[in-house]
Amino acid sequence: MNDPNERIILLVEDNPDDIELTQIALKKHHIANELIVARDGEEALNYLFRKGEFTELSLDEQPAVVLLDLKLPKVDGLEVLKQIRAHESTKYIPVVILTSSREDQDVLNGYKLHANSYIRKPVDFSQFSEAIRNLGLYWLILNELPPSAQ
Amino acid sequence: MRRRFLYIAFLFQVVISLLFHAHAADQSPVYDSVSNRISKITIASEPNYPPYCIVDSEGNADGFSVELFKAAAAAMGIEVDVKAGLWNKIKQDLATGRIDALPLVGRTPEREELFDFTFPYLSLHGAIFVRKGDTGIRSLEDLKGKEIIVMKGDNAEEFVRRENISTNIITTLTFKEAFQLLATGKHDAVITQRLMGLQLLDEINIDSIAPLDIQLDKFRQDFCFAVRKGDSRLLARLNEGLSIVIANGTYDKIHLKWFGPVIKEHIAWQDVVRIGLSILLPSILVFCAILIIVLRSEVKKKTKGLKQEIQQRKEIEKKLHESRETYLNLFQNAQVGLFRTRIEDGKILQANEQIAQMFGYSGRKEFVYEYSTSNNYVDYGTRDKMLEQIRDTGEIRNFEARFYRKDKSIFWASYSAKIYSQQGWIEGVVEDITYRKQKEDELNKLKNELELKVAERTKELEEKVAQLDKSEKAMLFMVEDLNRVNKALKQERLKLEVSNKELEAFSYSVSHDLRAPLRSIHGFGQFLLEEYSDKLDEQGRHYLDRVIAGTKRMGLLIDDLLELSRTSRKEMHRKAINLSELAREVVDDLKEEHPERRVDIQISEGQTTFADPHLLKTVMENLLGNAWKFTEKCENAEIEFGMENMHGETVFFIKDNGAGFNPDYKDNLFAPFKRLHSDREFTGNGIGLANVARIIHRHGGRIWAESEGKGKGAAFFFTLESPNLEKKGTENE
Repeated sequence: MNDPNERIILLVEDNPDDIELTQIALKKHHIANELIVARDGEEALNYLFRKGEFTELSLDEQPAVVLLDLKLPKVDGLEVLKQIRAHESTKYIPVVILTSSREDQDVLNGYKLHANSYIRKPVDFSQFSEAIRNLGLYWLILNELPPSAQ
Repeated sequence: MRRRFLYIAFLFQVVISLLFHAHAADQSPVYDSVSNRISKITIASEPNYPPYCIVDSEGNADGFSVELFKAAAAAMGIEVDVKAGLWNKIKQDLATGRIDALPLVGRTPEREELFDFTFPYLSLHGAIFVRKGDTGIRSLEDLKGKEIIVMKGDNAEEFVRRENISTNIITTLTFKEAFQLLATGKHDAVITQRLMGLQLLDEINIDSIAPLDIQLDKFRQDFCFAVRKGDSRLLARLNEGLSIVIANGTYDKIHLKWFGPVIKEHIAWQDVVRIGLSILLPSILVFCAILIIVLRSEVKKKTKGLKQEIQQRKEIEKKLHESRETYLNLFQNAQVGLFRTRIEDGKILQANEQIAQMFGYSGRKEFVYEYSTSNNYVDYGTRDKMLEQIRDTGEIRNFEARFYRKDKSIFWASYSAKIYSQQGWIEGVVEDITYRKQKEDELNKLKNELELKVAERTKELEEKVAQLDKSEKAMLFMVEDLNRVNKALKQERLKLEVSNKELEAFSYSVSHDLRAPLRSIHGFGQFLLEEYSDKLDEQGRHYLDRVIAGTKRMGLLIDDLLELSRTSRKEMHRKAINLSELAREVVDDLKEEHPERRVDIQISEGQTTFADPHLLKTVMENLLGNAWKFTEKCENAEIEFGMENMHGETVFFIKDNGAGFNPDYKDNLFAPFKRLHSDREFTGNGIGLANVARIIHRHGGRIWAESEGKGKGAAFFFTLESPNLEKKGTENE
């Protein structure tokens, strides 16, 4: 896991367009890390806590960063964040909120629940792509993970 | 013979002394305790009255009287300081209190006015001394018109003057001088005390002068000690002392010392009878004198009592007279009518002027003469009432009734009377109270009027109160209506809040849900353009460009819309802010963004207000940003921020000399998405000013813009509600 290339990205996003655009952007910037996509909050939580279809999965393979949308079916983004921070096995995982909203309330709530970063998805694809590149660069390469997560 | 004479003299003097001693003893207890305090006194003696008062060869006072005085004083334990002086002088000294007593003073009525005397210890007769051989003077009567010499102030002088012996009186300071004058042939006679005269003549060796043998009955001298008038304490002590020395033989010894030898030498045997008589007679006389004095004092006392009685009677008489005067004065001058009538027939016995006038008579006499109780001076009913009361209680007090005058006119009077049955009359007082009654009537009238007025006013007030009640009711209804309206308003507001919430939700969904597909369009369009441009022709690429530009534009629009919505929903926190500083920050940012621009910027310093700093920053950014943008085509761009006071209201402004606008469309300036310039002229989306207007409105202020036309610059004015008028309602539009 110390190899940045083996670090996993968990994308929690219900919009297939955004998923695809994210994948395009990652690919465009040659970020080849494994991208796991959860299409709603519940699926994200199942993955993180190895429940449901993910019970077989090793607990070792926690993502290096979670890209979390707020408006999600079933369990919304803030609830997902709360659960991540509430569990010992996940509480140090960096979470970047990636959403369309720029409402002050949303930003504030995100940080209150200890999100590591808050990024608004730009309409402009070049800007969006740039944001994804910066994200990858920072969280996958520059950021040092806490010992327990390694 | 001499012994017998002495014995007789002694007997008399003892009788005298006892008499006076007893008298003195009567008084002594009163003064005893006090008199002990007298320890030393000063007396004075004349130098030339031998053998009673003389001055010895050493200049000390001496003589029978002086020695006797000293002995009497010593018996009482009093020390005596004796001075010598001329008679007239020392007499004066005693009267003025310079000395306490004199040892030898003949008692005369004149002197009793000045001094108090002890009982006499010597009683001597005076004699007329003439030149031997002068046959012109044989009796007292012969002295008429003659020149008589006496010592000034001596009893002899008093006697001569008192008895009118002669009008030719010559006074000398001493008898020695008098005898010397007579001896030298001047004047006609000297009158003095016989024994003293003889001794003095012997002393100065004059034998050409001798006394006549006639007895001067009216010039008898009782010699006493004298004290100041009223000095009863010393007097009592001296009387007591004198009695003691007489009783214990001291008097006798002193007498022997001074009189014995002299008399022996000068008195012949044939004179013994005469001398005896001359001693005996004076003694009897002294005794009589004492009796006389006692009687006189008794008479004096009685006379005094009688006088007092007479005085008292006079005073009583005077008082009687005075009170009668007072009574008459009171009666006649009283300001009320006074009368006295006989009970049996009602006849007026007495009346004063006042009552006569009261009843309309010309005078008192006419009233007394004509008036009788049978006259109708008062209504019969009233009269019966009055008489009944007098009969029952013997008097009547302050009975107020209407009385009739002589001419039957009416007056009000207060009537008081009392029966004196023994005297058989009635006395009374009548006071005219017409004036008072009038005033009472007037007062009653006033009171009634006042009551009427009060009643009127009360009624008016009640009416007013009733009206007020009505208006109060109306007011209550109004308040009810207001409450109803208020309730409706609250409901409306609630609805508004709900729709606000919906709007918020809408904005939120716009922000998320509209942007998401837009991002897809833009993202995939971009991707297509980047990765598949070789598969498209020029036209295809152009269309794709337009798609991408459209989505970009729409993204901006959505952002602005969100911004506008956020401005309305954002919570406001007012604080004191400095708009001048805010303006400077914005201008500094603009300068940094566009370093190539040269703009003349004027910022009025110290403009402060009370508002939300973030929102006001947005205002300043928009207004200054606009000014900056619309002056970019000017050569000498000018922007000014300042404040004006318009009709007492603080108005901030931002002026520029840029593009300006058509004033016809100035109302469109603050509507969202309305633009007065094309994008080709100036970029923008028409949200900025709408946003500014919203912020100003949320602060309770107004905003307006002025321009004289395109190219002539623009001015934006805004006000901000003063903080004390701020209400919560303003935060929710």
